[in-house]
Amino acid sequence: MDLKKVIFELSEAKGVSGSEENAAQTALKYLKNYTSDCLIKNGNVIGHFGKRSKNIPHILIDAHIDQIGLIVTAITDDGFIKVSNVGGIDRRLLPAQRVVIHGKKDIKAVVSSVPPHLAGSEKGKALKIEDICIDAGMSRDDLLLYVSAGDKISFDTTCRELLNGRITGSALDDRSGVASVLYALELLDMDNLSCSFSVVFSTQEELGERGAKIAAYEINPDIAIAVDVSFAYTCGDKEYECGKLGNGPMIGISPSLSREISEKLIDVCCDKNIPFQREVMHGLTSTNADQFSVNREGCKACTVSVPLKYMHTPSEVIMLEDVRHTGELLAEFLRRC
Amino acid sequence: MMNHLKNLCMINGASGDEGSVRNYLISNLDSKAEYHTDNLGNLIVFKKGRKSPSKKIMLDAHMDEVGLIVTSIKEDGTLTVNEVGGVDPSVVTGRQVVIGKNGLSGVIGSRAIHNLSTEEREKVPSMESIYVDFGAENKEDAEKYVSPGDYIYFLQSYEEFGDGFVMSKAIDDRFGCALLLELINSNLEYDAYFTFSVQEELGLRGAKTAAFAVKPDIAIVVETTTASDINGVSGSKRVCELGKGTVVSFMDRSTMYDKELYNIAFEIAENKHIPCQTKTMIAGGNNSGAIHVTGCGVKTIAVSLPCRYLHSPSCTANTSDMKSCLELVSELLTRAAEL
Repeated sequence: MDLKKVIFELSEAKGVSGSEENAAQTALKYLKNYTSDCLIKNGNVIGHFGKRSKNIPHILIDAHIDQIGLIVTAITDDGFIKVSNVGGIDRRLLPAQRVVIHGKKDIKAVVSSVPPHLAGSEKGKALKIEDICIDAGMSRDDLLLYVSAGDKISFDTTCRELLNGRITGSALDDRSGVASVLYALELLDMDNLSCSFSVVFSTQEELGERGAKIAAYEINPDIAIAVDVSFAYTCGDKEYECGKLGNGPMIGISPSLSREISEKLIDVCCDKNIPFQREVMHGLTSTNADQFSVNREGCKACTVSVPLKYMHTPSEVIMLEDVRHTGELLAEFLRRC
Repeated sequence: MMNHLKNLCMINGASGDEGSVRNYLISNLDSKAEYHTDNLGNLIVFKKGRKSPSKKIMLDAHMDEVGLIVTSIKEDGTLTVNEVGGVDPSVVTGRQVVIGKNGLSGVIGSRAIHNLSTEEREKVPSMESIYVDFGAENKEDAEKYVSPGDYIYFLQSYEEFGDGFVMSKAIDDRFGCALLLELINSNLEYDAYFTFSVQEELGLRGAKTAAFAVKPDIAIVVETTTASDINGVSGSKRVCELGKGTVVSFMDRSTMYDKELYNIAFEIAENKHIPCQTKTMIAGGNNSGAIHVTGCGVKTIAVSLPCRYLHSPSCTANTSDMKSCLELVSELLTRAAEL
């Protein structure tokens, strides 16, 4: 598979939390290459591999399919669209941002902003979410034909290549995780696996890991890996709190995760010369792993994360090699289960 | 005009880097137009009309747009930048950009919101803290591709949307350039000079030498102007409104406009049913400021396109206003020549 092409296609597909259909269909299209036992259920993309049996562990490999965005709350008399945030939006970078309103049809628009000379004492301050308006260049009556409260809004950006194997785009959190899982499937010889496993591309992670909760209940895994993105060091960050772009997948170590699985993932990397980084957390992980570990009667959960810069902006940056190495790690981990 | 506008907006040309805009204009000039480029980079065009007016008329539009310039390369391979013209950090933070002559892709990095303090989340980053990441491994790697002094541009994307709206970078003032080009390539009633000036965004610098060269009696500046007709802004603070026609102001921060020309403009608008409005705030300025005090003085008027989100990657304007601007400027040119 052309991993870069898959990342581009997934990044440019749209799937703000709760409206993941477009991104989910894109992911499902690729998942179908590896199993016929797959579907979209309650928003989650789910695929099963191998024959499940009581004597062998069943593993869940997850990456979330949703992305942050905005949601329409009202249309004003003068034809502007009021919004609220879906997930953690950085309001500082919204002025004049290009967006797409996913109404009855996709509508291009721009985030309205007051010119600097009229901003007065508000100059230099981030807009409050209630003060943010979207300008679609249409009257209220025209807007009402296509746009309703509850419609989602995403950043209008395309994926682009930077130097040295880096890629920028929006929703690389967590489409790069989805891509790494698909790459792992590409690497696996399904007939020679001793475990059975399920892949989930889950909804609504950005709203509190909701899709993961119901998927885990349904699948009832013994072991679960949340494949997500995590902070790659960015100017201004504390270096000891971040991973580094290009240094390989970040393997989670935390009191809330299974140390056995963390060690096993590290062993895989050491044996196979896959670069990796330890990501030490001291409690919950703010990933789907937090749901997996306490699912039903409990599950051995861990996180594997693609390092990413500028998280939740329209210009997130990842490195292709990190996605590739994450896929290699997941594939080898499954071979050893 | 709309086709030229789109092409011109897609060209990168910040103050001091107007060459590509100038080349586009030259290659699209009517063969009957005479032109030269002055030492500063202004493109000065003369086009003969059917008649020669007793007074010398000049129309001006500026070629430059706002952007950023690389000030240094950091050890980690990222670039420090500063603004060329007025750029608010909030419209570049977290955006994709284009770097230098080779058009390398880059982003203006912004730390993950998760890692910001409550205070940091509410404060727009300062221009000093902004940097560009284009994927270079380190300073040595970056130096292979970029040098201090290289320009950084908003990613080009010209979009028609809504009910006759357009959004793009650089509508300020490629719209003026497109309009002047349209006039040059039409059959003019009277001879006229057209100046496509440089460095407006740095303080009306190109227009100063262009007007000195032409020595006009009357000048018509074709510009864009800030409209603040958005939700939450009411009354005079809206300044002017999209869809209400071309904007002719009596005064701004650079110029007290010629009263006779101002009155003629509104008289034409009324007689010819051209939508026309004035600004309800004294704000902004344009090349008129440099032109009207050239030599012994020049009777000057500015005709502007109302534009939202000026100086951003998404300047927004309405095509009906563009049409009004073109109609008014054409009529004004004839009337001015007969004064």
